[in-house]
Amino acid sequence: MSRSTLVRGGVVVAAWVLLVTFPQWSQAWESSRFAAGIVRQILIFAIFASALNLLVGYAGLPSLGHAAFFGGGAYAASIAAERLGTDLLPVSLLAGIAGAVLLAAVVGFLAVRAVGIFFLMLTLALAQMVFALAYQATDLTGGSNGLSGVHRPTLLGLDFNAAADLYVLECVIFLLVVLLLWRVTTSSYGRALIGLRDNERRMRALGYDTRTLKLSAFILAGAIAGVAGALSSYEFRFVSPNDVALGTSVTAFVMVLIGGAGTLLGPVLGAAVVLLIERALPSQVPAQLVLGVLFILFVVFARQGIVGAARSLLRVRG
Amino acid sequence: MTFQDALQQALNGLSFGALLFILAAGLSLIFGMMDVVNLAHGAFYMLGAYVALSVSRATGSFWVALVVAPLILAALGLLVEPVLLRRLRGRHLDQVLVTIGLSLVIVDFIRLRDDWGWGGTVRSLPLPAGLDRSIGIAGSDYPTYRLFVIAFGAALALLLYVVQRRTRMGALVRAGVDDAEMLSALGVDTDRLFTLTFALGAGLAGLAGVIAAPVFGLQPGMDVDALIYSLIVVVVGGLGSLPGAIAGAAVVGPADTFGKVLVPQFALALIFAIMALVLLFRPTGLLGRIRIGR
Repeated sequence: MSRSTLVRGGVVVAAWVLLVTFPQWSQAWESSRFAAGIVRQILIFAIFASALNLLVGYAGLPSLGHAAFFGGGAYAASIAAERLGTDLLPVSLLAGIAGAVLLAAVVGFLAVRAVGIFFLMLTLALAQMVFALAYQATDLTGGSNGLSGVHRPTLLGLDFNAAADLYVLECVIFLLVVLLLWRVTTSSYGRALIGLRDNERRMRALGYDTRTLKLSAFILAGAIAGVAGALSSYEFRFVSPNDVALGTSVTAFVMVLIGGAGTLLGPVLGAAVVLLIERALPSQVPAQLVLGVLFILFVVFARQGIVGAARSLLRVRG
Repeated sequence: MTFQDALQQALNGLSFGALLFILAAGLSLIFGMMDVVNLAHGAFYMLGAYVALSVSRATGSFWVALVVAPLILAALGLLVEPVLLRRLRGRHLDQVLVTIGLSLVIVDFIRLRDDWGWGGTVRSLPLPAGLDRSIGIAGSDYPTYRLFVIAFGAALALLLYVVQRRTRMGALVRAGVDDAEMLSALGVDTDRLFTLTFALGAGLAGLAGVIAAPVFGLQPGMDVDALIYSLIVVVVGGLGSLPGAIAGAAVVGPADTFGKVLVPQFALALIFAIMALVLLFRPTGLLGRIRIGR
């Protein structure tokens, strides 16, 4: 292992320990519990945005329908737990992943046929079909009322009912997802995805089956979004069509772009920035309007997001 | 389903199709010319409806609103294109992303403006005087406003067709859709042409919003519905062509209407299924030339 990898690993471990112990070391601060609640939501959306980033930032597939798999995972997790009458974490989490994978396979099968802007249009429209299903299949999903009173899971005698325990679970899963994505994006598979983004024709000429490659990335990104969705159902004990809606897909896209597409840190930062604007500012501030303006400014002036801007600043300096 | 019911639903389908045509024509036009899918199209539609609400409250006339609201939306288009889109020329995806940001801003702006009688609640625009009754057709009553929508959509389609075929502006638009770069090399000011096209597209979205408001009302989320329906229409009919928008609207409008009556649980699934079939077997759309996929 090279020295820089060790240093990086050390930084990641230190940052993660700081994160897990956040509720403890922030106790002196009077809004500590409020802050911890926001951090939990940031973690969930960081996982979701990181999944989308695999498509948008690495494979060059601008999906504007990723909430279909986030919400789909949330529904599948809570429906499975309820119907099977169990609170076991592996059951609902795996059901969430399976539901998201199934949806991603169907949507992806159609969407990967389209290129560029058309891919964006199709993912948007097909995700809206999932939204319509969630809205209309009242027996299964509760329709517009959604599913409330979702149980928080248990695992090997541990129970994640208390917010503090759920926080630890979310931190662990967040770390696992980041490690998985690091592994994927640095593997030869990840290089192939980047090749797809940079020059799809050349990848085809090199003998890659680009359509299958795209579909596999789409399903993987769907599965990870499903994990985030399942966590969201535990966090809010509530799943609604809003989790599948276009607004949620747009939010994730804004997070990826503002943080920095194609970097592992970017979506995490983006999730933090967006949720702080949405949840932590005084309620008179029109959050969506602010986000819209911010998003436009980033697209026009800092397309590489916060991480990209920071990198070029560092490069200019030294 | 009796004959009367079937006739009634056929008329409903036609009037919904006419509305979808007005809505999708603007989206298709902008795409054809600029290669930009304007994702603020739904927000423009919504803004058109709310502007019409204010104008008709102030003047007491739906007809004034029908003229003024699309003009205001066109003016917004005149402003947005040079300020936001022109600097991103050639970066098509980024142009699309900017329109997402724009729609966030517009929709939140409408929500905030309670003091203008807009806000986040359901509003309604009364039917215009003279078109607020029903007339008997084949033994059943049918609302005249919906007949007006059918006639209006058909007249607009005809007007746009004639403009595109018979005027210099129409020739420039057709040439721009074919090859904007070549047009620019021939000395045509494409910047100006793009701005005018975007303004016309925004105006058409606003017009659709005004026409739809008395039937469907004004509420949060109407922007998303409009955007999705117009995307489906252009995918089914074919992007970037006027006949494509007509064909798409003529298929999706009636299919959606009959679907909602015959298989209410699967109505939305029905039009998505049509879209999926078109994509798989005819990736250019029914009457389009631009291939959406490979």
